[in-house]
Amino acid sequence: MSELVVLVVEDEPEVRDAIIRDLDTYGDTIRLVEAESFEDALVAIREIESEGDFLGLVLADHRLPGRTGVDLLVTLNDDPTSRRIRKVLITGQAGQEDTIRAINDAALNRYIAKPWDAGKLRHVVTEQLTDFVIEAGLDPLPFVRDLDGPRLLEAFPRRGLTE
Amino acid sequence: MLAIFGAAVALWISEAIPLAATAVGIILAEILLVSDQAVLALAPQFEPNTYQSFYASLAHPVLMLFLGGFVLADSAAKYQLDRNLAGVMLRPFGSSPRSLLGGLMVITALLSMFMSNTATTAAMIAVIIPVTASLDPSDRLRVSLTLAVPVAANVGGLGTPVGTPPNAIALGRLADEGIRVDFLTWMVAAVPLMVVVLVFAWLVLTWRYPATTKAVDLTIGGAFDRSRPAIILYATFFLTIIAWLSEPIHGVPASIVGFVPVVVLLSSGVFTVDDLRKLNWHVLWLVGGGIALGSGVASTGLDAWMVGLLDWESMPNIVLLAALGLLAIVLSTVISNSATANLLIPIGITLATSGATDLDPLLAGLLIAIACSLAMALPVSTPPNAVAYATGTVATKDLASVGVLVGGFGLLLAVFVAPVLWKGMGLM
Repeated sequence: MSELVVLVVEDEPEVRDAIIRDLDTYGDTIRLVEAESFEDALVAIREIESEGDFLGLVLADHRLPGRTGVDLLVTLNDDPTSRRIRKVLITGQAGQEDTIRAINDAALNRYIAKPWDAGKLRHVVTEQLTDFVIEAGLDPLPFVRDLDGPRLLEAFPRRGLTE
Repeated sequence: MLAIFGAAVALWISEAIPLAATAVGIILAEILLVSDQAVLALAPQFEPNTYQSFYASLAHPVLMLFLGGFVLADSAAKYQLDRNLAGVMLRPFGSSPRSLLGGLMVITALLSMFMSNTATTAAMIAVIIPVTASLDPSDRLRVSLTLAVPVAANVGGLGTPVGTPPNAIALGRLADEGIRVDFLTWMVAAVPLMVVVLVFAWLVLTWRYPATTKAVDLTIGGAFDRSRPAIILYATFFLTIIAWLSEPIHGVPASIVGFVPVVVLLSSGVFTVDDLRKLNWHVLWLVGGGIALGSGVASTGLDAWMVGLLDWESMPNIVLLAALGLLAIVLSTVISNSATANLLIPIGITLATSGATDLDPLLAGLLIAIACSLAMALPVSTPPNAVAYATGTVATKDLASVGVLVGGFGLLLAVFVAPVLWKGMGLM
């Protein structure tokens, strides 16, 4: 079965590990993938697509070696095939200008300031993935356990199964 | 026609193509092979049905009744009438786990008599999830609450003609044989059975999954929407149900009554064109394909041929009924209830009308439709079961044990007790 993927883009290994650790509470329907730069993230996205999995959320730090996290989110938003992916910035260093660009040009879904609260981070990820599953029209049932079950079930009858 | 029937069996069981695709495939095949527009020459003594009559299966009166049910149910969900009604009805049941479980089952069954079993289950399980999450993980009430919803929705579906597609398939085939069953008659026959099966299911659930908590807090819905479209919907909803139930007084068939809310809700903007686009049209087509298959089987004489294969005289009615019911429940445990009904109802009703047996056609139709709704032993048996299973609270063995007990009890009742009762009431 296809999996739902969260891509974590963060260059500092210990911060990346901390994010992954905080998110490692989901069941086996949700997979976490790591990347450390803009280019690395694009390679990872191609791999996820070639495996037939669905990238539901990119959780990116702003300051990365080379091009920034906001650049990455804008790039994803400009491409119709990746526009539906939910985008969250997790950073302590984005200036006002970058933040405005992320909102206007990348259609940023959420902004999480560092240091983050693990519970709030999980809540944001759960809500964003739930939105993605509903908007992308995936079968919501496999995700009822791990994501926002009541909201997924409301979307279920529209899948039009036959009794 | 035998080839068409064989292909329909293979495709509806294997689900190699969507169920609705098989349905329209049947209609096309019948038009090309056994209608007055057939591409190959037919035997000269054979009087084919017109090709229009096969197309007309897609707008059969019973489908118009179902369309009315769909429009009402979708509008009710849109304005949260379903949830808010459920909240009001649940209040008298208090907070003790046993009575709350009973209340949940009563409400789920009532809603699924008029809405699809799937939509009812999704709405009720969505309400149950926060409750089960708040209970102690070892409390078996979590399992019984989660199982109660699909069981009650499946059983509730058999209560009215619009409850679930197999009922429509049975009514459509019966109507084509000139046997008209009105809304109230169906309910008089099915509701007592539904109630007894629900009580039995409640006993099984409270016995197998005793609660450890003393009180549960379950609130559903909120304030009723008082906007103008919502009020129009409430009035249309209740007037339609009253008109369906009072057919013996006014004599207007349910399929005509059912078309009124379609017109009223669409023209008042309560139900928009966009909502219309989102209707489950494929379910109507699937039922239409089943009706076309039934009329093809009857018009080509395939029915007589099939009936002639066996010496039915030597088989007592009760054995025949039990065999039909068992076949229906086993088949629809693994494939769609509607597809099962589409395949078995033409056979069952043909056996009854052919004169080879003295089986009552209404009895055969009711029994097969009811048996289809009673199949709920696996997560894949019906979408309501799949929804409950997706929560992770119930295991396959829970569904299997409760499903076999409740389904088996219901089938025994439908085969051995209900026919006696129905005859006693003068229904057949």
